[in-house]
Amino acid sequence: MKPFSYLEPDSLDEALDLLGRHGDDAKVIAGGTALVNFMKNDLVEPRFVIGLRRLKHLQAMTEDNGLRIGALTTLRTLETSPTVAGYAPLLAQACRLVATVRIRMMATLGGAIAYADPALDTPPALMACDASFTVQSRREARTVPAYQFFTGILETVLAPDELVTEIVVPRQPTGCRTAYIKFLPATHDDYATVSVAARVAVADGKVVDARIALGAVGATAVRAAAAEELLAGKEPNAANFRDAAQAATADLEPLKDIRGSPDYKRKMAAVHVVRALQAATTAPHP
Amino acid sequence: MRTVHTTVNGQRVVADVPDNTLLVDFLRSQLELTGTKESCGVGVCGACSVLLDGKPVSSCLTLAVFADGCTIETIEGMADDNKLHPLQEAFIRCGGFQCGICTPGQIMMAKALLEQHPRPTRMQIKQWMMGNLCRCTGYYKIIESIESAAEGTKS
Amino acid sequence: MTAQTQPSEFVGKAVERLDGPDKVTGRARYTADVFLPGMLIGRCLRSPYASARIVSIDTSKAKRVPGVFAILTGADVAGYRYGRVCRDIPILAQGVVRFVGEKVAAVAAETAEAADTALSLIRVEYEELPFVVDVHAALRDDAHRVHDQPPKVVGARLRNPGDLKMYPPLPNVISQLTLRHGNPAEAFAQADHQFQHTFNIPSVHQGYIEPHSCLIAASDDGDVDVWMSNKAPHGARAALAEALSIPKEKITLNPVFIGGDFGGKGGLMDAPLCYHLALHARRPVKMVMNSFEELTAANPRHAASITLTTALDRNARILAMKARMIFNSGAYAGFCPVPTIHGYTAFAGPYKVPNCDLEVLRVYTNAVPAGHMRSPGGPQITFAVESHLDMIARDLQLDPCRFRRDNAIAEGDLSPIGERRQFLHCRAVIDAAIREFGWDRPKGADVGRGIALYEYPPGTFDDSNVVMSIDGAAKVDVAVGAPDTGTGFHTIVAQLTAGELQLPLNDIRVAFRDTGASPFERGPSGSRLTTTIQQAIKAAVDAIKTALTTLAAERLGAREGDVRYRPDGLIEARGKSIDLKALMAWAEAAGKAPVVRHGKNTPTGRSDVTCFAAQIAEVGVDRETGQIRVNFMVTAHDVGQVINPITHQGQIEGGLVQAFGQTVCERLHFGDDGAVISATLGDYKLPTVMDIPDLTTILLPVPTAI
Ligand SMILES: Cc1cc2nc3c(=O)[nH]c(=O)nc-3n(C[C@H](O)[C@H](O)[C@H](O)COP(=O)(O)OP(=O)(O)OC[C@H]3O[C@@H](n4cnc5c(N)ncnc54)[C@H](O)[C@@H]3O)c2cc1C
Ligand code: FES
Ligand code: FES
Repeated sequence: MKPFSYLEPDSLDEALDLLGRHGDDAKVIAGGTALVNFMKNDLVEPRFVIGLRRLKHLQAMTEDNGLRIGALTTLRTLETSPTVAGYAPLLAQACRLVATVRIRMMATLGGAIAYADPALDTPPALMACDASFTVQSRREARTVPAYQFFTGILETVLAPDELVTEIVVPRQPTGCRTAYIKFLPATHDDYATVSVAARVAVADGKVVDARIALGAVGATAVRAAAAEELLAGKEPNAANFRDAAQAATADLEPLKDIRGSPDYKRKMAAVHVVRALQAATTAPHP
Repeated sequence: MRTVHTTVNGQRVVADVPDNTLLVDFLRSQLELTGTKESCGVGVCGACSVLLDGKPVSSCLTLAVFADGCTIETIEGMADDNKLHPLQEAFIRCGGFQCGICTPGQIMMAKALLEQHPRPTRMQIKQWMMGNLCRCTGYYKIIESIESAAEGTKS
Repeated sequence: MTAQTQPSEFVGKAVERLDGPDKVTGRARYTADVFLPGMLIGRCLRSPYASARIVSIDTSKAKRVPGVFAILTGADVAGYRYGRVCRDIPILAQGVVRFVGEKVAAVAAETAEAADTALSLIRVEYEELPFVVDVHAALRDDAHRVHDQPPKVVGARLRNPGDLKMYPPLPNVISQLTLRHGNPAEAFAQADHQFQHTFNIPSVHQGYIEPHSCLIAASDDGDVDVWMSNKAPHGARAALAEALSIPKEKITLNPVFIGGDFGGKGGLMDAPLCYHLALHARRPVKMVMNSFEELTAANPRHAASITLTTALDRNARILAMKARMIFNSGAYAGFCPVPTIHGYTAFAGPYKVPNCDLEVLRVYTNAVPAGHMRSPGGPQITFAVESHLDMIARDLQLDPCRFRRDNAIAEGDLSPIGERRQFLHCRAVIDAAIREFGWDRPKGADVGRGIALYEYPPGTFDDSNVVMSIDGAAKVDVAVGAPDTGTGFHTIVAQLTAGELQLPLNDIRVAFRDTGASPFERGPSGSRLTTTIQQAIKAAVDAIKTALTTLAAERLGAREGDVRYRPDGLIEARGKSIDLKALMAWAEAAGKAPVVRHGKNTPTGRSDVTCFAAQIAEVGVDRETGQIRVNFMVTAHDVGQVINPITHQGQIEGGLVQAFGQTVCERLHFGDDGAVISATLGDYKLPTVMDIPDLTTILLPVPTAI
């Protein structure tokens, strides 16, 4: 690991100041599970590493016009929190399937989304929850919807001086049910080969609201807007789910890697879109 | 260089470490606590598991400066004087190790488990221990060891 | 050869392992845990190309990095080649690189950081050459030749039948083994059915959690102190002496724990390079491979391409089998300690195959060199044979268990390669597995079942020695020549010694001290150690008892011929008796010479004992995704005397889960240029505790001599 100076601000203002000052030369560190790995392999070589662990209020969750999750909240906290289970069981479920307990105790939600690996579990879940992210810098504070946040492999809309401070999950529509499926054909601790998050509300035998998002199917997690539209107003049955899966996966361009070929992943994505929709529409009502 | 104030296995430690030092190297090279092992270096294998403020972490992915103001527990602190911890005894009794390289990590992780769930179900054990790879035992006897330790401490 | 172990309260007991306290407290010291004053860190620069000529190397900038003490390139270690059997491995690339990951230059520096900085400043100019990574392509006449010249070959002996040619005139072939037994041509001509299938089995890594590590200190007067993760220090010392052209007496391998071996830690790996760095730097140097280097550039299991052709009669009895097995050896042959892949001896599984025709090739390619891993060749061959038989059974609409049982080898049959063996309990083992599993019970939807058999004769080759001494407090010390790699070897030595001497286990200490202070031991290999060391222990105990008899005779005022060892442990003569403690205390006080005796076992010829395993798995299949989950397994084994049920069962469970990994989730993935791309444990997936199947083990006690 290349040498760097470690800085540990006491407040958000101070952190934003440091980021504003060092910008490109600095990286913030939360759990470190992604950043340290990158630094060890010289994939990033920041001159300054800004530790966020003293920003205690970013480790907290508050209910205020939705669930506001501090960016430093660990995945383990999210997975075990009754509040999250009530608000957004989909997010809890996705967190539960990330890596292993030890990694979930270290890894933060803010770190995950800023990391923006396309195979992460939390981004599709957040997209299907209609979550948005509060992003702050010395210049401004802005809100970015989850589905607009990710721009490429390990790339996001974040500017070098910006910090994710909050992940906001709005109150979920009444009557909606959810499912998160992570396809793990090898071992249980693996990254997803593909993953699907679904949130569906059904009323009078018709889908009134659907959210579908997929992970590990391309350069970023993607929201399947076409499939969502296609389902709206339709009966929640197998044929319609298959059509939705077709719409959700037809244009995907999954990456070729050791977990499979693009073609295989596209097929697996389609299978799991159907399954996620089925699971969501047959799950017990919360 | 930063000065790190920590408590390691109950002892106060004040040490100067370069900012880019990893916790695993701080423990192994600087404090000569070589019971903590390093293998995968990417957070997968768990050989480097230690407890930071009671919480398991991969010390191969943790900056040493993160230990400032915290307590660290490593395998060297598990036995009380010369009395082995019930988990250590159980690993010996049940054959929960072979080559032993993963064992410190397994035991530290299991300690954190039993602190949260003193009487874990088999499924809880498996889910909790999933991040600690063992190539020798096939895991059956590790599960048995943890179950046995939990039973022993239950009364 | 039979060894009747004394009835003892320790042999056969689940005694706790001697290394337990060290291993559960973190006191156990592995190579990476050893720090010497002034020690440097050695790191190496590796080739990014599968095949290239090195045009130039410029180390001038690297030399200026503060804290750097030595930088070596191929020119500094020209003239050295090492390897097991085939001496084809250069210490650093000599003008050409042959796989992505080959060592090109090395640095020793005060910190890993300085070493890495220096490495990043070394400029190497390469000129790319053609390369070949597929074994079939490598065998073509016009294939790129990975090596121009065959290397020196030493000790290419076979322990089993077959004709062996080293470096025959075939492109890229390291060794060609052919073996014909019976009259296969005739058998095929008469066959009612013939089947042919080809299986391609990918490479896997041993997966030991401790990476290869070594630490070497060379003194000015030529003494070389070595700490290294090697399962057989005496062999490693001899190999190192040869590789470095120094007398072996100058080299000492010090005791360290080994963090998993599985066959992969029998070679020298970085040790020759580490020595040269230490020599140049005039400081001790430690080299610990990182996980990336382990996965991309160590010595994984051979990938194989196996074609099997089987002839059967109308009753589905196997008449003959032909096999062509091509093993991908990667760029160097010297990581494999034998001339061929000796798994070929089980080429047709434990079946009666009266006629066979077999060819085994080891082939060079521009990929990571393959080495040894637990039962070398065994999983590849077993996967091929057992899958082949399943496909035949399905075609002939036969129950796979019954089909196997009907063809299983039985007392009086020769093995497929024509060897005679005894204790052929194969059918009993199949039956035990079937019974326990409930083969005939109904299965659920989308559930498959499969059975596979395996035969493995315990190794009885090469010397084992122990030096046993007994002190004035009647404590026994057993010096052995190898560390306990995790199998429980030292504990078993203690149990056997306690049993033979009728002493409490606590009075026995077993240790590997260093190569100077220990007798030669070939080490764990081919399931030999427990078997071979048992005879050495017995010999040492006999010699000890003779010495004690002399002492007892003097103490009790009797003739040696009158001295008897009573079952209660007392030594008696002419109506008087004495216990061992009192005898030894007396001997010490009387200034008698210490009782130190050497026990040696030099196995004469191979044992004809063998043993079997039958495993049945129930596998759930997701038909839409092809995903499988192994729900449940039964593993049945015929066993002789189990010395320690804990360690015995540990070997079964660990081995089973490794095989599970190879079958279900592990695989080294290669890029088009032969580079390993599953290069971290995040991408090379070892089974976790969540993945393992439920397991029932059946041990079939059978009266087997060892
Ligand atoms: C062994 C292993 C297995 C894994 N398996 C999975 C898996 O199965 N599924 C899955 O989804 N994920 C998996 N992950 C990834 C894991 O979820 C991420 O590494 C983790 O969430 C990152 O969080 P962190 O707090 O550790 O981030 P850090 O490593 O601290 O930071 C990551 C990046 O985000 C930046 N950053 C951090 N916080 C902020 C912030 N608040 N604002 C702006 N930028 C910020 C950092 O500068 C850095 O660039 C795995 C990781 C490991 C190590
Ligand atoms: S070495 Fe840290 S998790 Fe493997
Ligand atoms: S005991 Fe060897 S890896 Fe677990």
